Amino acid sequence: MKFILNYIRKEEWSPYVGGVLLGLVGIGAVWASDSLLGASGAFENLAGMIGKWVAPAAFDNMYFNFIMPPGITWGVWLLVGVFFGGMIGAATSGTLLWGKKGAANSDAQWKRIFGPQAWKRWALAFVGAIILEYAAGIAGGCTSGLAISGGMLLAPAAFLFIMGMFASGIVTALIVYRKNY
Amino acid sequence: MSSVVLPLVFGVFFGFALNKAGLTKYHKIVNVFRFTDLAVLKFMMTALVVAMIGLYGLRGLGLIEFPNVPSTYIVGNLIGGLIFGVGMALTGY
Repeated sequence: MKFILNYIRKEEWSPYVGGVLLGLVGIGAVWASDSLLGASGAFENLAGMIGKWVAPAAFDNMYFNFIMPPGITWGVWLLVGVFFGGMIGAATSGTLLWGKKGAANSDAQWKRIFGPQAWKRWALAFVGAIILEYAAGIAGGCTSGLAISGGMLLAPAAFLFIMGMFASGIVTALIVYRKNY
Repeated sequence: MSSVVLPLVFGVFFGFALNKAGLTKYHKIVNVFRFTDLAVLKFMMTALVVAMIGLYGLRGLGLIEFPNVPSTYIVGNLIGGLIFGVGMALTGY
């Protein structure tokens, strides 16, 4: 028992242990609620809801009517859970930076490559997130919803997606890091 | 009721696993593309293998049916993946 408690307090687990936990969550999600662990779809559900409210004509199309119906879906609640789960994880290891100094740009490696300014971190995160969400819309899912959840059902789409993701991720990292690669 | 509580609980465990494996950090994500830290791959592949065994086992026993499997459209999946990788390496999502 003490061993388990101590392990929960550890900041960084073996990725294999974390992977087993995620695998079990994935099984549970299919078993208990017949759903996949999609994260990017939830943003589209929410965006669709706001869009239908602000500009109903622009959002009255195939995509938001049938493929990604707007509303507070299963995935939105999952995302809320992920947010708090991450916070609990950080809190149990004593690394929660909420409200602390330097929390807006806390990654040492990021600061070394791009500089210490917090606005840069947030601006790049914003632009990158638009790219991510757009790409997830095209591919039909993100890392969790397509690559992992689709992969565990042996969907060919998932493995195509992983191939593309790593190919361009490696090239992007090469460009960003250049001689520091 | 269960359509709110269940995803919340799954989400908490999902976020917890991600955080503890370090995948909520920028350097973990980008370093997998630099081949200096393969935690992301280890994490993803372990999750895949565990879930595959569990899901196919449970389906074999007739306990579950698969939900709608993500549809395959080769060009879309590949191009989506290619754009996704750029965002992933930039933000550390």
